[in-house]
Amino acid sequence: MALYVDRRQLLLAGMAGLLTPAIAAACGGAATTPAPVGGTPGGFDGTLLFGAPLSLTGSTAKEGGLTRDGYELWKETYNAAGGIRAGSKRYRIETKYYDDESNAQKSATLAEKLINEDKVNFLLGPYGTSATLQVSTVAEKNKIPMIEGNGAAESIFEQGYQYTFGVLSPARNYLRGVIDLALAQNPKPATVAILSADDPFSVEVADAAKQYAESKGLQVVYYQKYPNASTDLRAPVTEAKAKSPDLFLNSGHFQESVAIMQQAKELGFNAKGFGFSVGPSLPDFESTLKEAANYVFGGTQWTPALKYNGDDLFKTPENYNTVYTKRFGYEPSYQSAESTACGVAYVKAIEKAGTIEPKAVRDAIAKLDFMSFYGQIKFDSRGINIYKPMAVEQWQSGKKVTVWPPEAANGKPIWPTPPWDKR
Amino acid sequence: MDLLQHVINGLLQGCILALVGLGFSLVWGILNIINLAHAAFIMLGAYLTYFLWAKVGLDPFISLPLAMLALFVAGFLLQKYIINLVMRASVLTTFLLTYGIEALLVNLALRFFSADTRQSRPFYANASLTVGGLHLPYTQLGAVAVALAVTVLLALLLDRTNTGRSIRAVGQDQVAARLMGIDLGHTYAFTFGLGAALAAAAGALLSATSGFSPASFGVFNVLAFSIVVLGGLGSIPGALLGGLIFGLVYEFGGTYALSQRDVVIFAILILVLVMRPTGLLGKEG
Repeated sequence: MALYVDRRQLLLAGMAGLLTPAIAAACGGAATTPAPVGGTPGGFDGTLLFGAPLSLTGSTAKEGGLTRDGYELWKETYNAAGGIRAGSKRYRIETKYYDDESNAQKSATLAEKLINEDKVNFLLGPYGTSATLQVSTVAEKNKIPMIEGNGAAESIFEQGYQYTFGVLSPARNYLRGVIDLALAQNPKPATVAILSADDPFSVEVADAAKQYAESKGLQVVYYQKYPNASTDLRAPVTEAKAKSPDLFLNSGHFQESVAIMQQAKELGFNAKGFGFSVGPSLPDFESTLKEAANYVFGGTQWTPALKYNGDDLFKTPENYNTVYTKRFGYEPSYQSAESTACGVAYVKAIEKAGTIEPKAVRDAIAKLDFMSFYGQIKFDSRGINIYKPMAVEQWQSGKKVTVWPPEAANGKPIWPTPPWDKR
Repeated sequence: MDLLQHVINGLLQGCILALVGLGFSLVWGILNIINLAHAAFIMLGAYLTYFLWAKVGLDPFISLPLAMLALFVAGFLLQKYIINLVMRASVLTTFLLTYGIEALLVNLALRFFSADTRQSRPFYANASLTVGGLHLPYTQLGAVAVALAVTVLLALLLDRTNTGRSIRAVGQDQVAARLMGIDLGHTYAFTFGLGAALAAAAGALLSATSGFSPASFGVFNVLAFSIVVLGGLGSIPGALLGGLIFGLVYEFGGTYALSQRDVVIFAILILVLVMRPTGLLGKEG
């Protein structure tokens, strides 16, 4: 019996040991680039530390990784070209990331840590609206600017905050392009079904799409929310099918967009057009769905096919595409481009401010107005970029084609979608 | 017709949920362990099946018994060399231990398998049998057949074999079972292994019917718990019934009150606990 008790105590100790790594992992291991080793090599006068909590694991790990790669490309490209000049000094860019596990509350805690322990000079945005909303409060409280490219809900910018800026088009525009495109086609759609994830960003996109569709004379025949990150959406897809809408819209995330197309195929649900706010812009959409990805439309912040001529080191979307693909071995989606754009905006603002003092940099950001490889970057009084348009892409025979707006497009939309048994 | 399609969707999904509940019920009923690592076992079953399909091209339904065997061995060893050491401690200790195992496994999976959404996609994936306008996806039909077959086999094992009788004896009275010469530690390990194998079967089926990532399995602990409470602890028909009911709840909640379907599940849970604490098919005591 005594032996048993001893083994039990041993095990409890062992269990503590077993739990420790799990808890450490759960609490977010720091993912960081190596700190500069002493001094400032390469003739720099100092370093500027940019920090961001990022969803490197969890439900938006994919997008979080793209965000990080976007930031990293910015850092590497600008450091190679001499860093950031502020007045007479040249600064090397350093970045520090923590994994928020796709948990918005954790993102806020990690932002506090970045500011108070790591003493970052500036914040870059986390991935996603919920996290950005949380971190914006931390940025405001500490008076540290944050330029973000992955939180598009207008709720972020309606808090009256002074220190948060978004380079991307706001949520209400996400599905507008797809609706405009659909209305320009023949046969013209009359009805629309909308499915939305239940997080604040997706709901904002869906509500705006519903309003916009109705204002354009479309009849919304089905509008339903489902729990964020669902992989089994057969129930709402069955219900959408029963309403036989001309246009089907989804406001959600990558894994839901994949599930919806798979299950639409299973259940024989076909609309004249399928449009998604998030999903089709990622290459994985096609590699997962194969031929079921064809004909699907996706609203997108940016594509490599767009014809911008930017006043930054990347210059054009096409060149950004080349540099990015060379560095990471896969093509950039808009999540990466808008993250890089955050960094580019910082460089412009800091150079204009001529100092790294947060308040002065904040004021310079608010006054920015320049053309970048990502499009025009300019903020309204709330801090969101309402000046850049959204584009629409369609998968055609396994390739992504930018089909909207017509003046920036490199192909024509295919409409209507052929039935599943005729593909 | 649409109503019928909803009912079919719900029942198809319910069969997999029944399998999820079955292993959980067995381990809870016999070992008195609320196994929070159950969802992680489902996850491992899903990844095993996925990798066998993606790397070797093995059909998910052929990998299924392999995944079950692998998880049986893993579960057996885990119980025998780790969990058995704390079997006499309070329920909270095994609760914490299995919670730790779950967190460890899920985070290791995130580290090594990444958070990408995966799915085993054999050539018949997302194709359906169409009967009079109703769509029955082949993968889900296969899943129903497997779930029912595994349930029957488990019932036969518990009812007809000596090992099964030992397991039930241990569940009824440990002291008496020990006096009859049953090796408690071994029976615990065998039962836990069975629970893990059942989880693996559910995981293998889930890997073929919908997309998954390490983070998408946590919900199955809650579901398994609810299924067992609703159906009755330790009852095989209870797990089947509970699974089918929750399949329907998910389907109809998903159609008419989607974002709030968890509210429906917990409301049912509370009602059952108040009105019939032993569950629908559970026995008194």
